[in-house]
Amino acid sequence: MGRTSKDKRDVYYRLAKENGWRARSAFKLLQLDEEFHLFQGVTRAVDLCAAPGSWSQVLSQKIGGQGPGRVVAVDLQAMAPLPGVIQIQGDITQLSTAKEIIQHFEGCHADLVVCDGAPDVTGLHDVDEYMQAQLLLAALNIATHVLKPGGCFVAKIFRGRDVTLLYSQLRVFFSSVLCAKPRSSRNSSIEAFAVCRGYDPPEGFVADLTKPLLDHSYDSDFNQLDGPTRIIVPFVTCGDLSAYDSDRSYPLNLQDGSEYKYTPPTQPPISPPYQEACTLKKKGQLAKETHPQDCPISRVDALSQPLAAIQCHTVLGPEIKDNKMNCTP
Amino acid sequence: MDALGDYVWPRATSELILLPVTGLECVGDRLLAGEGPDVLVYSLDFGGHLRMMKRVQNLLGHYLIHGFRVRPEPNGDLDSEAMVAVFGSKGLRIVKISWGQSRFRELWRSGLWNMSDWIWDVRWLEGNVALALGHNSVLLYDPVVGCMLQDVPCTDRCTLSSACLIGDTWKELTVVAGAISNQLLVWYPAAALADNKPVAPDRRVSGHVGVIFSMSYLESKGLLATASEDRSVRIWKVGDLRVPGGRVQNIGHCFGHSARVWQVKLLENYLISAGEDCVCLVWSHEGEILQAFRGHQGRGIRALAAHEMQAWVITGGDDSGIRLWHLAGRGYPGLGVSALSFKSPSRPGTLKAVTLAGSWRLLTVTDTGALYLYDLEVKCWEKLLEDKHFQSYCLLEAAPGPEGLGLCAMANGEGCVKVVPINTPTAAVDHGLFAGKVHSLSWALRGYEELLLLASGPGGVMACLEISAALSGKAIFVTERCRYLLPPSKQRWHTCSAFVPPGDFLVCGDRRGSVLLFPSRPEVLKDPGVGGKAEAGSGPVGGDSGTDGSNAVAEWSPVSTLHSLHGKQGVTSVTCHAGYVYSTGRDGAYYQLLVRGGQLQPVLRQKTCRGMNWVAGLHMVPDGSMVILGFHANEFVVWSPRSHEKLHVVSCGGGHRSWAFSDTEAAMAFAYLKDGDVMLYQALGGCTRPHVILREGLHGREITCVKRVGAITLGPEFQVPCLEQPDFLEPGSEGPGLTDIVITCSEDTTVCVLALPTTTGSAHALTAVCNHISSVRAMAVWGLGTPGGSHSPQPGLTANIVSAGGRAEMHCFSIVVSPDSGTPSGLACHVMHLSSHRLDDYWDQQRNRHRMVKVDPETRYMSLAICEPDRPGVGPLVAAACSDGAVRLFVLQDSGRILQLFAETFHHERCVLKVHSFTHEAPNQQRRLFLCSAATDGSLAFWDLTTVLDHGSALLEPPAEPGLPYQLGTPCLTLQAHSCGINSLHTMPTREGHHLVASGSEDGSLHVFVLAVKAPELEEAVGEPELMPQLHVLEEYSVPCAHAAHVTGLKILSPTLMVSASIDQRLTFWRLGHGEPTFMNSTVYHVPDVADMDCWPVSPEFGHRCALGGQGLEVYNWYD
Repeated sequence: MGRTSKDKRDVYYRLAKENGWRARSAFKLLQLDEEFHLFQGVTRAVDLCAAPGSWSQVLSQKIGGQGPGRVVAVDLQAMAPLPGVIQIQGDITQLSTAKEIIQHFEGCHADLVVCDGAPDVTGLHDVDEYMQAQLLLAALNIATHVLKPGGCFVAKIFRGRDVTLLYSQLRVFFSSVLCAKPRSSRNSSIEAFAVCRGYDPPEGFVADLTKPLLDHSYDSDFNQLDGPTRIIVPFVTCGDLSAYDSDRSYPLNLQDGSEYKYTPPTQPPISPPYQEACTLKKKGQLAKETHPQDCPISRVDALSQPLAAIQCHTVLGPEIKDNKMNCTP
Repeated sequence: MDALGDYVWPRATSELILLPVTGLECVGDRLLAGEGPDVLVYSLDFGGHLRMMKRVQNLLGHYLIHGFRVRPEPNGDLDSEAMVAVFGSKGLRIVKISWGQSRFRELWRSGLWNMSDWIWDVRWLEGNVALALGHNSVLLYDPVVGCMLQDVPCTDRCTLSSACLIGDTWKELTVVAGAISNQLLVWYPAAALADNKPVAPDRRVSGHVGVIFSMSYLESKGLLATASEDRSVRIWKVGDLRVPGGRVQNIGHCFGHSARVWQVKLLENYLISAGEDCVCLVWSHEGEILQAFRGHQGRGIRALAAHEMQAWVITGGDDSGIRLWHLAGRGYPGLGVSALSFKSPSRPGTLKAVTLAGSWRLLTVTDTGALYLYDLEVKCWEKLLEDKHFQSYCLLEAAPGPEGLGLCAMANGEGCVKVVPINTPTAAVDHGLFAGKVHSLSWALRGYEELLLLASGPGGVMACLEISAALSGKAIFVTERCRYLLPPSKQRWHTCSAFVPPGDFLVCGDRRGSVLLFPSRPEVLKDPGVGGKAEAGSGPVGGDSGTDGSNAVAEWSPVSTLHSLHGKQGVTSVTCHAGYVYSTGRDGAYYQLLVRGGQLQPVLRQKTCRGMNWVAGLHMVPDGSMVILGFHANEFVVWSPRSHEKLHVVSCGGGHRSWAFSDTEAAMAFAYLKDGDVMLYQALGGCTRPHVILREGLHGREITCVKRVGAITLGPEFQVPCLEQPDFLEPGSEGPGLTDIVITCSEDTTVCVLALPTTTGSAHALTAVCNHISSVRAMAVWGLGTPGGSHSPQPGLTANIVSAGGRAEMHCFSIVVSPDSGTPSGLACHVMHLSSHRLDDYWDQQRNRHRMVKVDPETRYMSLAICEPDRPGVGPLVAAACSDGAVRLFVLQDSGRILQLFAETFHHERCVLKVHSFTHEAPNQQRRLFLCSAATDGSLAFWDLTTVLDHGSALLEPPAEPGLPYQLGTPCLTLQAHSCGINSLHTMPTREGHHLVASGSEDGSLHVFVLAVKAPELEEAVGEPELMPQLHVLEEYSVPCAHAAHVTGLKILSPTLMVSASIDQRLTFWRLGHGEPTFMNSTVYHVPDVADMDCWPVSPEFGHRCALGGQGLEVYNWYD
């Protein structure tokens, strides 16, 4: 497995690197726009959970270039600066963040809120799906503060067991909810994007960031757990068929005749949580269990105790006596 | 739903679940394990072992169990009954269970209470429970009635990643919450002035740079431990957390895991942590690692429990395995390395070689030609002999067998071999063999009857010496029996040897990596009656080497050779066990071989643990299992393939120095030379470890494909004693035991053969095939039969399997499953590897490949289909869906021993996801084979394979260059069925002679249509190749929002019934045949990310079975 291996398996990963996008997900937003014309008439856009910043790159290119357009990117983590993008390092569950966004728009509300955030998956599906749902609901919660009526909200969803609960939640706030999958998103991935248009909160709804929006629960009439009635929103595939296929493995020399050249990743992650552990591992300073031979080796004549047979279930006393057979100095 | 009529439509019920073990708890001497919504109860038996007692089904509905909390009993009596709160996701249920008189009973269960938010922790507060919820709030809940008593949020309503509740009453209840900001928040719900009034956190503790996944509080020492995404465990001195405002001090920051840490548990003297790296570490409270438990596979350890009285640690893995480990503190007793203090003025010279004669005698030679004996019991050195002919170059090998039969052999640079009886070294016998250096020396022992010593000399000549002892035991006789000739190579000597039972053959490995078979008595072989099968090349070859002195002796070539089986680094050992020959090599693999008809036959290549590139040997442990010896960088490792555990690790410096290994039931010994001294590692109890596998794991990663092979009926003599629910037998489970054989393959690069008995609702992994170098994504089965063939059928099942996956790799193997009362499942499975194929084979043969960029795509095979033409002489075709946009056809010949690429097409120009084959049979028409392929753009293509196979057909373009495959022409029908990728495909013939085709897509839609085949009349077709069958679509229906996610499993069960499975975890039945498919019913299942489904009818009494494979395996059944 060489370094070109990922370039062959994932053509969008490679194209993103070659076109200077910080992540392959930039193509997803571009393809969503192709289908829904998300950026039409948009002057103020918010990118939630922006790091590493590929969607902000797309937004600034599509909106920021048009004079009055403004893009605000919010993330908990630090992100390398991007031209034309106002960055806020903050928590999307805090009211202060919402206020700061509005401040940057000079008191106006946003036309478009996008969120491509996903938690670091743990591999336990129910936990991951729950965490992703909470992230989407937190994004929706802050969107209720900053989005103008009729505005548009695009967020990543995991289409797992309880995705219909999210659909029913989104339907409360938007006149049109669709599930869209750009062609640059792999077939094997459970991710998709909820494209919600026409922000229209129910009457009497008061936006309140101090209370989390909790997910809906199954309903015996409208959204059943295992019955025929479930809220499944229409599915739209975005991007035209002539686009590259994200599941297909391509040879390194693509058909347009250009010679392949390896491109390193555009923006490596900034201080990931495992950084210290990796540094220690590199230096060989991770704690290791003590093998018996790592103890100072005694002369054989100094063997202090006879070898004792292992007991099947030794009762653990209040103090453990270490067997110092081979560890005597 | 009014159209249901009077027909009772099937409803599927879950019968078996294999999922990650996400909850573990010790209750008295029992263990509760949560797997999906079920609880497994293990109990201590009289032998001191934990045994599975019962599976309590469906405690949490569609939720998965994440933990248990046992209600503390005031009188501390948990031996007869216990009240347990079971929770997971948003669900909570209380069960009262009793286990008096070794009988398990569920006395009562509450309703399943659904919370509004995720439950991170539960704590019993007298009769009620407190729940810590997902957005930092705490509920006081009456679990019996199911009503909320109090709901107190924190002012900071961030999303939590873990929480821990402390205290026994509501008044003292303390919440430690792990926030998404990586902080710990400590707050007191009882401080709320009124219900629902938020409480501000009392303390915020920072330290971790990643999310906190688990916490544990040890009240007696005032310690808190946290496990985090940043791969570290922190120990905090917190004092009594129930007192507000206390000081929190970080006293330990432990880095030891090489991935995220999922679980942590504080015990009185230890800290246990486990994580994504599949390692469970035992730390002291000072942050020193005392023990490391390795053995789980896959994505880590998800659950942890400890029993301090028994000194147990129990871990539950993502691989659905459960293991019990013994806490032993600092290292195991009776295990260690000692230097044997050879260096002394009375013992001049430096050590050259070491060997072990049994478990208590060690022999070594020096460069002065002196042989020394060290008695491990008396602990002193003794000089046996000194011979100046054996100076500077000397080989030393002790004889095999118990205590080395009291013999050892030495060889020198002048072609002389000395056999030494250890007890009477004066009786040593010298035997001159060659004119030059003896390159290698090895023994072969047959029972206690025949002992041979093999010595390789110059020119590839291997002399075979027969050793016998006089009746008095005082003298030994060494006679040369014959000479063998090794195949030519640069380093032309043998490395190891063994008798093949019953003893007609000797198997040897050589330095060039070949495994060779020699007749043990070649003179007898000349007799046509015995050696009739000997090859022509096995006759004696005249002394062409010319180097040895005794030209008169004939040299025998091997009767069978597996050339360079282990590569250039050589074979390291050969062992015979249970009818197979096992060879190990320095290529990091061991082979299972078979001697059949005087020929060596490779059966299976097996991989060892990662990084062990030098496999040095194989050893049978008294309990019948096998351990692998090898070198991992500078360490000697004893590894168990059964438990994936490194049983012994010795930092010896690597395999190039002289070493010796011996193992008896009492002790295992490993001796090596280091720093001019002999080092000895000893371990009491031999190669076994007291750790117990309570349940074997299945696959370490997602299952990508599941296929049912067939069924075996076992007579009553093979009935497995049923431990589970003897009082609740399902209807139809009596009578002869019917066992389904199912194969699964996974991203963990293995293919697994499973036995699923219909009676017990359990699963037994029979064997695993690990030949793939990358993930395995698809399998296909053909050639089902019974052992013994159709003439003399024996109970059991045989089948051929082809598997394919990443790196464009395909393997073909056969399985034989037969009854075997000695195994827990009552079945044994033998696997034989038949052939393999890789598209990029040429790449591996390129000399300077490390300097070149490999341009071709790394193709993955996504799906396979077997097409069996009825024409004689044509083997089955394998159709493969490839990620590079091709559909490829392979031909299998010689019952699977030859696998060749035959034709390909790039029609789809996108990743092909599915292939499916079907036959069309109609009166007066030729039987026709069709292939259907489906791609990521939602299009289907149908190919007429019967015409393709007619050579000269226009459908098959000859290759552009010889050696390349044929090109398939245009498909006979294409159809745009969906807007995006097709993840499932199935067909069924209808009574009208048409075909029902169903496909399911990524967008959750189903597409069903009727396909009519208008074939040319049989007579007309002759000589008129343009008359190809015409395909038409008659009726076409689409169900757009059938599922909320990818439809990955789809089966048409009958022309009126279809079942679909999706990643949204619903198994849905559809009625067909009345226009649009109509929804019948649906069941929520528990396996996430289902990639494949297989359904089959079992028997009229048992109904249908359906296996769903994804991140786990679940089996459903239903009755018609």
